[in-house]
Amino acid sequence: MSFNRRDFLKTAAITSAAIASPSVIRQAFAADPIKVGALYSQTGGLSIVEKLLASAVQMAVSEINAAGGVLGRKVEVIVEDGASDPKTFNEKASKLVIQDRVATVFGCHTSASRKAVLPIFERRNAMLVYQTHYEGFECSRNVVYSGAVPNQQLGKYIPWIAKTLGKKKFFIVGSDYVYPREMAKVSKKLIEAAGAQWTGDEYLELGHSEWASMVKKIKDSGADVVLSNVVGDSIIAFYREFKNQGLSQATIPICATVTSEIEIAAMGPEYAAGSYTSFPYFMSIDTPANKKFIDDFRKFTKDPKAVTYHSLEAAYFQVFLWKQAIEKSGQVTADGIRDGIRGQTYDAPGGKVKIDADNLHCWLTPRVGQWQPDGQSKVVDAWPEPIKPLAYSAYGETESDLFCTAKGLETAKLK
Amino acid sequence: MASRQRYDFLLYGIFVAAILVAPLMLDEFWLNRIAKYLVFGMLGVAVALSWGYAGILNLGQGLFFGAGAYMLAMSLKLASPTSLQQGSDKPVPDFMLWNAEPGALTQLCCINKGSFIWLPFQSQWFGVAMGIVLPVAIATITGMIVFRNRISGVFVSIITLALVLLIRLLVIDAQPLTNGFNGLTDLAWLTIGAFQFDPYSRATYYLVAIALSLVLVGARLLVSTRAGLILQATRDDETRARYLGLDVPSYQIFFFVVSAAICGFAGMLYVMVSEFASPTFMDLSFSITMVVWAAVGGRSSILGACVGAILINMIEAKVSETKALVEVWKAVVGLIFVLVVLYLPRGLGGFAHDLLDRWRARNAEVVPDEGLVVAESRDAVAERG
Amino acid sequence: MIDTMFIGLSLSSILLLVALGLAITYGAMGVINMAHGEMVMLGAYTAVLSRIWLDANIVMAIPIAFVVTAIVGLVIERVIVRRLYGRLLDTLLATWGVAILIQQAIRLEFGLSFFGIHVEGLGPGLQNVPVPAALQGTFHLAGVEINTYRAFIIVVTAALAAVTWLLLQRTSIGMQVRAIIRNPKMAAACGVDVARVNALTFAFGSGLAGIAGVMMSGFKTVFPDMGTPMVVDGFLVVVVGGVGSLLGSVLSAGLLGEINSVVAALKNDTIARAVIFGVVILIIVVKPKGLFSFRGR
Repeated sequence: MSFNRRDFLKTAAITSAAIASPSVIRQAFAADPIKVGALYSQTGGLSIVEKLLASAVQMAVSEINAAGGVLGRKVEVIVEDGASDPKTFNEKASKLVIQDRVATVFGCHTSASRKAVLPIFERRNAMLVYQTHYEGFECSRNVVYSGAVPNQQLGKYIPWIAKTLGKKKFFIVGSDYVYPREMAKVSKKLIEAAGAQWTGDEYLELGHSEWASMVKKIKDSGADVVLSNVVGDSIIAFYREFKNQGLSQATIPICATVTSEIEIAAMGPEYAAGSYTSFPYFMSIDTPANKKFIDDFRKFTKDPKAVTYHSLEAAYFQVFLWKQAIEKSGQVTADGIRDGIRGQTYDAPGGKVKIDADNLHCWLTPRVGQWQPDGQSKVVDAWPEPIKPLAYSAYGETESDLFCTAKGLETAKLK
Repeated sequence: MASRQRYDFLLYGIFVAAILVAPLMLDEFWLNRIAKYLVFGMLGVAVALSWGYAGILNLGQGLFFGAGAYMLAMSLKLASPTSLQQGSDKPVPDFMLWNAEPGALTQLCCINKGSFIWLPFQSQWFGVAMGIVLPVAIATITGMIVFRNRISGVFVSIITLALVLLIRLLVIDAQPLTNGFNGLTDLAWLTIGAFQFDPYSRATYYLVAIALSLVLVGARLLVSTRAGLILQATRDDETRARYLGLDVPSYQIFFFVVSAAICGFAGMLYVMVSEFASPTFMDLSFSITMVVWAAVGGRSSILGACVGAILINMIEAKVSETKALVEVWKAVVGLIFVLVVLYLPRGLGGFAHDLLDRWRARNAEVVPDEGLVVAESRDAVAERG
Repeated sequence: MIDTMFIGLSLSSILLLVALGLAITYGAMGVINMAHGEMVMLGAYTAVLSRIWLDANIVMAIPIAFVVTAIVGLVIERVIVRRLYGRLLDTLLATWGVAILIQQAIRLEFGLSFFGIHVEGLGPGLQNVPVPAALQGTFHLAGVEINTYRAFIIVVTAALAAVTWLLLQRTSIGMQVRAIIRNPKMAAACGVDVARVNALTFAFGSGLAGIAGVMMSGFKTVFPDMGTPMVVDGFLVVVVGGVGSLLGSVLSAGLLGEINSVVAALKNDTIARAVIFGVVILIIVVKPKGLFSFRGR
């Protein structure tokens, strides 16, 4: 009891001393490192994916430091563990923003964790840089979104499935949370517009991996294509069950929006061969920049078999966009980053990317990959250039009628 | 016995004074963090009441915590600036539009099938009241069914466990109504009159600290009433208590409900300090974690369980924020659980009591008073579950 | 309809596979082993590692996993569980801590990752075990298309249940275990070496979990957290079936699996799971000791 008390008095004294140190002194040492946070799950169920994202951020930072840092200052990463729990994400985010006073946090993977930390960034005016493709419907001035939104994943994909693959009956399946449901909603509009129809729209509890009943439903539904918005380890059990119940990717292909190289490697590539995924980035993109990225990442993580995928690439290139933003505005503050990053472009491993000047989302190139027996994809369809991110496309947002602009969200347009 | 109680109240006094003085030395981040931990301390109290005193190991405390949290969060969500048509008298939470069928009327009454239940939550005080009423109602119904049927021991644990998982599943599935897995976020601050409770302010800290003090002292007084003694008798030997003519189920239900009410209250405070409510509050691991806090602190000591919860969270924060340990902190915490269960079966609270009793016995040069004996026999029984 | 019943049977066999080990440790010894799911996980990792190191396929991994997890179980019993007999709920807490430790051990490659050493097959990533071609795909039986791997699981589970039943009913150590289930003190008084029998029982239960892990690895992902949800389902099966009753566990697994399959076919999987939880609550309320039980714990 008394130990506990003394203990926290000590901590409190140290922290208040740290904060009392006048900021004037800090300014004087211009060569002080720039501190940034990396808030990903290092433990718990989500750490499988998030640990790799944290590594990608750290690799980008070490490359920046090796090349002389930002504005002549080194970048120092403070890694915190979100522990796969929104409660912990919330607590650690406030630690990074308020106690460590970082202006930028790279982090979060699930929408649930991003939503849980958002108020801290908005009320304290700090920047969250978020790499994961998500459901849209967000227009925060304190988040830079470097991953895809539904119009970039589905806008060209569904018409392509209907036209090029000639599929007319979709079965939509997803994990039971916001992203898959939103993706399903956007898809249905696109499916109908493409002159096709959907025969099922079903969900399975997040993290659940018993697919017997669902796959049987797909089998009985008469669908000729499956649109999968399943996430996490459920994906693996799904593809395996699909094959084990005698369904073939050749006749009923699974067209996915989340399945990436990491899940393909984990399920055994033979289960996915012939299926499709829509992503802006694939490990198989054959450019010197991408080859170097893959090699560097394998060296950095000391894992010769490590795979790269969309979120990982975004976690990596977003750090360089952040660097350019600071160099442009000359300020390591949320306002400086926000102003500086609008319209920034960068040659990422997967090609050119650009942060949109209106909504702080990222211009990305839609691509469709077909999975091969070696676990890699063959890009079978690609848009010639990056397209504009529209976070509210499901509600009628178009390039000529923006809902989310630099001024913020125009709520009157939401109907 | 009387002198033991005096020591007890002295300790409670020191604890209350400590949490009330602490803000003088805390910056805003630590104010908020300690406030969160004090809320967890309150959960420790709830677990100690039902497990330590009533012998009911509830593995579904998260249900009551979550119920309290969601009720207040619903009110605060409607008051949030992100709600649609804010400023009019009929705000609609942003996620409802997002989950609505195309062409649905953007009104709270009828944007989807169940949205009308949100209507009364436009009053913040309705949310606050429901934050207690709902957990109490759920606990009363569950308690009636369970204890009137003389279900006890591990079977109560399994029922509460299945119940919390069931409700969690339904909350996540009812996405148009609850925003599913993402939970309720972007909440307004609690407002009393013109005053707003900023989660990083001293006012919010004091609200939590005073609430905890009242709950703590209230719980301590409650267990020394006649009802509390009867309950401990029931825990130690249920059959004998029945033969003495006591209406055992009523006492069990009463304590089960009080414990649920405290959890619901804690849920509301947690929403105030962390600004979100999430179905992960009803994860099984969170409910088990609460029990572990109480076990480490000492399940049969209300203050011990409370301090245990705060202490474990402090240790977790400290270890997980130590650079070298960021990946292993969970292993460290796991090791602490194992060691405490093995070597301090009555937790830190029991350990402190032992030290205190030994010290008093030596000073007074008398044999340890009956308090110790009672405590020991009580624990021996508690251990048998 | 027949295929729905088959899916139900398959779900039942998977439930039973995990519950079998629990039925023994919990039923016979009164240990709520929250680390049971981690034993399943260790079994699955054994399958992964024996493929990488020994080039062993999934069938050959079964005995290896049994031995490995039985040894781990024995160690846990000797070091921790032994001190907690009679303290039912304390076993829950201590093994919860053990579960965290085992998970972290796998995730951090037994601490080697701190020294930059990477063990292939361990670590936080997702692992998989290939299934021999003979066990993939489907075959036809009585006009119904049946999933070969699921049929294989059903056969293995049935065999394990039969072996466990024979061990309990037809061997002298089984008789000692049954004596302990009925009354540990009386058994000790009659000369049963309770400590030794308990240690062996715990090791056997853990070994069964290891086999369950191998079977899971063939159609689910292998990763450090895979066991946690399984242990909950396992407990529901054992408690509904009646503590200490092997037959009870078999029947309750069958019941819950079939309910799940039928409701999932009629409505959807989420409602099916909700119904399962509801049924479990109902059964405990109506028959608090479970469907079959020798005695209550």
